[in-house]
Formats: sequence, C-alpha cells, structure tokens
Amino acid sequence: MEIKDTIKSFIMTELLAEKGLGSLADADPLIDSGIIDSFGIMALMSFLEEKFSIQIAGDELIPENFESVMRISALVAQKTECSLGV
Amino acid sequence: MDFSFTDEQVDLREMVIKFARNELDYDLAEYDKNGEFPLEAWRKCAEMQFLGLPFDEEYGGGGSDFLTMSLVLNALGYACKDAGLVHAIATQVLCGMQIRMFGSEEQKQKYLPDVCSGKKIFAQAITEPDSGSDALSMRSRATWNGDGYLLNGTKMFITNGPIADVVIVFAVTDPDKKTLGGISCCFVEKGFAGFQQCNPIKKMGLTTLQNGELVFDACPIPPGNLMGKEGQGGMIFNESMEWERSFLPAAHLGTMERVLETSIRYAKERKSFGQSIGKFQSVSNKLAEMKMRLELGKLICWKAATLKDQGKRATLESSIGKLFISECLKQTCLDAVQIHGGYGYTTEYEIERDLRDSVAATIYSGTSELQYNIISRWLGL
Repeated sequence: MEIKDTIKSFIMTELLAEKGLGSLADADPLIDSGIIDSFGIMALMSFLEEKFSIQIAGDELIPENFESVMRISALVAQKTECSLGV
Repeated sequence: MDFSFTDEQVDLREMVIKFARNELDYDLAEYDKNGEFPLEAWRKCAEMQFLGLPFDEEYGGGGSDFLTMSLVLNALGYACKDAGLVHAIATQVLCGMQIRMFGSEEQKQKYLPDVCSGKKIFAQAITEPDSGSDALSMRSRATWNGDGYLLNGTKMFITNGPIADVVIVFAVTDPDKKTLGGISCCFVEKGFAGFQQCNPIKKMGLTTLQNGELVFDACPIPPGNLMGKEGQGGMIFNESMEWERSFLPAAHLGTMERVLETSIRYAKERKSFGQSIGKFQSVSNKLAEMKMRLELGKLICWKAATLKDQGKRATLESSIGKLFISECLKQTCLDAVQIHGGYGYTTEYEIERDLRDSVAATIYSGTSELQYNIISRWLGL
C-alpha cells in the first residue's frame, strides 16, 4: 500500500469512522475542517512515527505539514527517504 | 522491558535525597502558613543543577536524559516535603523543554542559560478564567500590528506566574482557524508594557507554589519573541502536556514512597488492644494497597520516561500515568491520615499537608476527568 493510502486509511478508520464520511480526497483540508483536532493530531503522529519508523522533529510540528493527506504523505516520504539515506 | 537504573542513576538519586534532607531543611510549616516561595531553597536546587539537568551543556545544562530527570524529581518528591518547590522546579524544566524543542537558536542562547541557573524564573501561561481543561478554547489574542504583536487577555492560576521573569504565553493569532492553526506562543518578560502580574492566589495546598493571574493589556510583543512559527501553539501545547504528564508523576511517586514509609513506621509503633495497629487487617490492607499503587505507578511512569528517551511518543502512557498516579497519591495520603488517626489530622505530623497538596495533582496538567477522555479517545470511543 502506498504511503498516501496507508495514511488515508488510518484517518478514515480511526479519526473519521464516527462521522460517516464516504471518501477523502488527497487535498481535502484536515485541520481547517476539524477532521483532525488536538487529540487527532497526537493519534496521527503516533501512528506515523510507529508505522513508518520516523521521528517528527519540533520544527516539523506545524499545522501546514498536516493540512491534507497530500502534505502528510510528502512529510513522511521526505522523512523515510532521509532515514534510508536517499 | 528493562526498568533497572544504572549505577550512576541510583547514586544520583541517593545524592539528591541526601541533599534535600540536609539543605532543604527550612521551616516548611511557616512557609506553608504564609504561602511564601522558598527562594533560597530554589537557589540551592539551581546550584545543584536540578533546573538544567536535561539541557545541553553549552547552555549550562547537565546533558542528562529524560529518565534521569524524572528520577531526580522522584528523589525530590521523596525527600523534600515541599511539593510546591518541587512543582516550581518541574515547571521551570518544562519551560526549558519547550524552548529547547521549539525555540530558535537565538532564543535558546538567550533563555536556556537562565532556565538552568535559575536566575530567572519561568512560567507557561495557558489556562484562562473561562478555559481550563478545554485549554485551546482560550480567548487571549495576539494581533499583528505591522511591527509585532499586541497581546490582550487574562491568564489564570499560572504556576510561577506572580514571580516569573519570563512567561511563555499561548494566545490566539488567527481566530478564523481551528485551534491547531490559530494559536501561537510568545515570550513575555517582566517589565513589558501592559503586562501585570497579580498577587498569588491562596490555595488549600501547594501553598508555597506561586499561582496567579496574569493580565496583558495591549502588551507589545516583538516579532523575535514568537516561539516557533505562527499557528504552532496548539502543537507546542500538545507536546508540552505530554512532557509534563510524563515527568511530574515521578515526583508524586516519591511522595507516595515517603508517606508509605511514614505510615508503616507508625503502624508498627502505635499499639492498640495490646498489639501494633499494623497487625489489624483493616490497617495492613491499607498499607498493602499503598505499596501496590506505588509499584504499579512506577511501571507506567518509567515506561513513559523511557519512551521519551527513545524519541517516541508517550501520549497514552503519559495520560494513564498522570491519571493513575495522581489519584493514587490522593488516596495514599488520605489512607495515611486515617492510619495516623487523630495525629494524622494535626499539622504537627505533616501528613495533612501532603493530603492538601495531593488534591491539586488530580487537577493541574489536565484534570483526571480529561485524562479519562483522552484515554477513551485512544480506544476509539
């Protein structure tokens, strides 16, 4: 499964299950729409760090990096490339 | 999982205990009665580098890991009966952690040496008169005016607030955004125009800890005083709470250990109906429960600290630890008063002060009710 799909699947099942949203586009706003709240962001970061074996640094903990599936995927891709020495 | 400590950590804990017993021997009953901050004891702790333990040596810190810092707080909670002082130290360290993680290099150079030396007292201001557990619904506003920000609002119950030299203030910078993107963090220093530090609030416990209201009335904030980026405040808040809930309970465990030992000693000495009261199951069961709480609390506390040292998140573990240990502390102190009978209710035996102090632990840093909510959310509920 691609990084993007893995992230989307987590958001759909763990953060959106109760809201009954049928689909989530890559560019859909997650923070401004309230899909990810202050709790959701902690759950998401725990998931990302565990699933992709990455550590998100302080200067990366900005809302912009989590505003859409696309942006989160880009962050993860960048971090995993770094950890692989690419 | 290996929860054993290194020889150095064990030695450090012993050293802190010895220091606290010998050097933090002020008349606590008097300070407690007057609600006075023990500034001399603060300075002694600073000289011992307790305030700067986890920070890099280039900033004047001790370069220790998080578990070691937790262990020092644990030793202080055990050997220093002034929970207010221990809490003030933890708050200073917590502010330093935020600066270390989110501050610019310039801000680290400017503030971290003062965090470590204790020459300046730090506070973080989140809570407001109308927002406690729902902290991110704050109303304080920092408005950009072209040259910097103008800060307006009121913060409440701020630990170290009345005596702080530097306050990390959380305020709304973009009210149109949700909490995660609309809140920012800035440094406000004593003497800034429009910044007023009110008198300490009188409390039932933690009386030496100075908590108070901070008022910001068109307080100008230079752009360089923003910590992190604009809109990062919600993220900083989350991180800060996780750190705090991971290490403050370590001090509570120290207090629980002291209270347990005091209670065991009394239960052995005190005779009733021809035998030690510890021989009665209604008393010994209480002591056994106290021991169980202490040992189980250690497991979750050291686990959370170990996770942080591994660079991992401990959101769930820190919430469980904060909830479990603070409630256990309160129950342990209540049981200790009961075991001591009439003497436990007197100020002379000092157990009643531990009980008064313990109640606050279930309120600050997110109430027990809030921790239940966080844990429930983690369960997908």
